[in-house]
Order: sequence, then C-alpha cells, then structure tokens
Amino acid sequence: MNPLLERDWPERSRELSQLLARAGLGDRAAFGVLYERTSGHLFAVVLRIQRDRAQAEDLLQEIYVSVWKAAASFDAARSQPLTWLTHIARNRAIDSLRRAQTQPRTESLSVDDDDERPDPHEALASDDPGPLDLLGQACDKRELTRCMEHLSAAQRQSVALAFYDGLSHAEVAEQLREPLGTVKSWVRRALQTLKGCLERAAQADLKKAA
Amino acid sequence: MDYGNPRLADALAAQYVAGTLRGRARRRFDALLPGHPALQRAVREWQGRLMPLTGVLAEQPPPARVWAGIQQRLWPAEKPQPWWQRLTLWRALSGAALMAVLGLAVLIANPPAAPAPVVVVLQSTGGDPAVAGQIVASFSGDGRALVARPLTPVALQSDRVLELWWAPAQGKPKSLGLMKANGVTVLSRGQLPGGLRGSGIDHMAVSVEPPGGSPTGQPTGPVVFYGKL
Repeated sequence: MNPLLERDWPERSRELSQLLARAGLGDRAAFGVLYERTSGHLFAVVLRIQRDRAQAEDLLQEIYVSVWKAAASFDAARSQPLTWLTHIARNRAIDSLRRAQTQPRTESLSVDDDDERPDPHEALASDDPGPLDLLGQACDKRELTRCMEHLSAAQRQSVALAFYDGLSHAEVAEQLREPLGTVKSWVRRALQTLKGCLERAAQADLKKAA
Repeated sequence: MDYGNPRLADALAAQYVAGTLRGRARRRFDALLPGHPALQRAVREWQGRLMPLTGVLAEQPPPARVWAGIQQRLWPAEKPQPWWQRLTLWRALSGAALMAVLGLAVLIANPPAAPAPVVVVLQSTGGDPAVAGQIVASFSGDGRALVARPLTPVALQSDRVLELWWAPAQGKPKSLGLMKANGVTVLSRGQLPGGLRGSGIDHMAVSVEPPGGSPTGQPTGPVVFYGKL
C-alpha cells in the first residue's frame, strides 16, 4: 500500500494549483499533467464508492471533463486543489449510486445479497482495507487518535461507511441493522467531534508556533 | 429549513461534504449554495476537514482508455486531414515569391454538342496568404482533354513548378502533370490516367514542386489550390 501522506497534501497543492490555473486558461498539456498526478487518487476514491469498474471508469471521465470545465473557477486562495478535486469525484460517484437506485435493478443493495459491498466486519479480515481500517490510519496521520477515542465504535463505523463507501444514512442503517434515527445521530455526532478535535488541534499548533 | 441558523447550516454543510445529504434536501442545498457565501465557507471548511481522510486510499491508476476517452469528450478529434491539407508550406516560398491569382478563361476542346465539360474550380488553399484566387480546370465532355488556367499568373521562383493532381475521395493523389503558372495548360487524353467518368475521382489540387515535378510521385510541396469535382 502506498498511502498519500498527510504532509504531502499541501506540498502537492502548489504544483496542482498551478496546473489547474493553466488548465483553466486552456492549457491542455497542463491538464494532462494534472491528470497524471491525480487520477490514481481520484480513481481510488471513486472505486470505493462505485465498485463496478466499468462505471467507475466512465465516472472518472465525467469527473475530469467537469474539472476541465470548472478549472478556471478554482480559487487557490480559498481551497486546496486536491480537496476540490476529491470533492468533485466523491459527489459524482455518490450521484451515480443514486442514479442506479432509481432504475430497475436486477441486484438489490440489500446486505443479504452477495453484493459488491462487503460486510464491514468481513472486510476487516480481507486484504482490502475496510472503512474502519482507513479511518484508523487516517486518524493516526492526522493525530486524531485521541478524538476518535471519544467516539463510540458505532459512531466510528457509521461515519467511515458513509464517508469512504458513500453509503446514505439509510444504507448504513441497513448494513449495521440499526434504526435510521440512531445512525443519523451517530454520524452527526462523529462529524461534530471531528470538527471540534481539529479546531483544538489547530489552536494548539498556533500556540506552538507563537 | 432556516439556513440563517449557523449551527444548522454547519450541520448541513457537514452532511453535504460527508455525502449523507440526499434527495430533496441535497437538491435544495445545491440550489442555495451559489447564493450563500457563509454556506460556501462552511462547505469549504468541511471539505478541508474530511477530504484529506481519502489520503489513506491506495492509488489506483486508471487504464489508458480513460484518458483517451476524456480527450475524445473534451476535444473531439477532427476528421483525419486530407493529404492536401497536411503538406506544410515551404517557408522560403511564402511572401514575395507567389502572387495572387485573378481572372479565368476556359477553353473547351470540343463543340458543345458533345457531352458537357466538367469544370472544376480550384480555390487557393490559404496555406500561403500570398496566393489567392482560382485555377479553373475543365475536362472536355468526351474526356479527350483537360484545360487548366490560373485566373492570374502565379509568380513562382525560377526553381519551382506547379503540378496538377487528382485523387479519389480516399487514397493517394495521382499526378496529371505540370501546369503553367501563366496561361493555359492543355493535357490531352493520353496524358490523363484512366478516364474521368467512373474513375472515383473526387478532387483536384495544385502543388508547388521542384523542376520536373515531384521526385516521389506524390506531392512534396505546399498545396496552393484545391477543388472538388
């Protein structure tokens, strides 16, 4: 596994911002380099949500077409390029799941089917990191281990399924066999705790720097 | 929903970024976002918190066909350029050496009772801005002769000649021989490879070549006139 380290994130940002700016001006070569630098990451993000590879490839094309068209509107002063790109990718991927749901399906999303989405507990045993694994790794790198300890296992699991795998509240509830309202509150609490933790960590960094 | 309530707005922004805001609520949020700077700020802050979590995902390089597909969607490939557009202009020739071409006279080798002649007007290609106007090529009705003449004399460097070509829609051009830059060129039937009718000939062109014409049997110099049959 070759994780993108958190400290790489801002360093990659500068190069990516420049490439995005040039793409926004119509520079196709710069857009090509941007694709080379980021497509591996965005494809990984998409694949976790849209498990069907053919659809994922189509999605990736749509995503980069959107990126080209929106490149001029990217404001480097306000966001990080990889954040912006990842958000576009996730939105598209999640939307593709919704589209699929409104059409008659031969497979359902029920956890009882041998569907593409593994039971999170089984996934932990397999090579492919389950959402909880990912969250755990991410949190180590972001020094949020302490914050995550404040969360219950259920809150952690809910937010991981929602965020990494793109499940809706209803789908998380189905997967965990818990009431919808309960899951909603778990996710909400998990996000708020994350926010509080990050704000405190940022303030602590500022104090250290001062 | 009171979007003015900052705590609610923040909660919605969090859900939006996390991906759990769905259906009507999501569509409403999408519609409101462009007009609400505070909401946009909340979204950006949540993006900053959550998107880096994806950093732990192992990169998955997509197959080459994805990039090919993206290019095709953004910049659809033009039809492959025909041979007469692909030849590059000899830089040395552009400018003073070539003059604009004007008027025209068409000579018909046979009396009007014969089948009508086929007249092809070759326009300047714009490949050389110094060359404008037309060449007219007329095939006599019985296919016995081809007469071609530039509307005004084409001024060429002394070491260059004009060569006339014709070609089917797909496939390589064939030379009809050299033509005069000034005045009438007549090619008799014997010089016309095959006949015109049923030949599949689709277009004609004139290129600039070294003395004696193209050494290769295919056009080597810039194509300065082109016309479709």
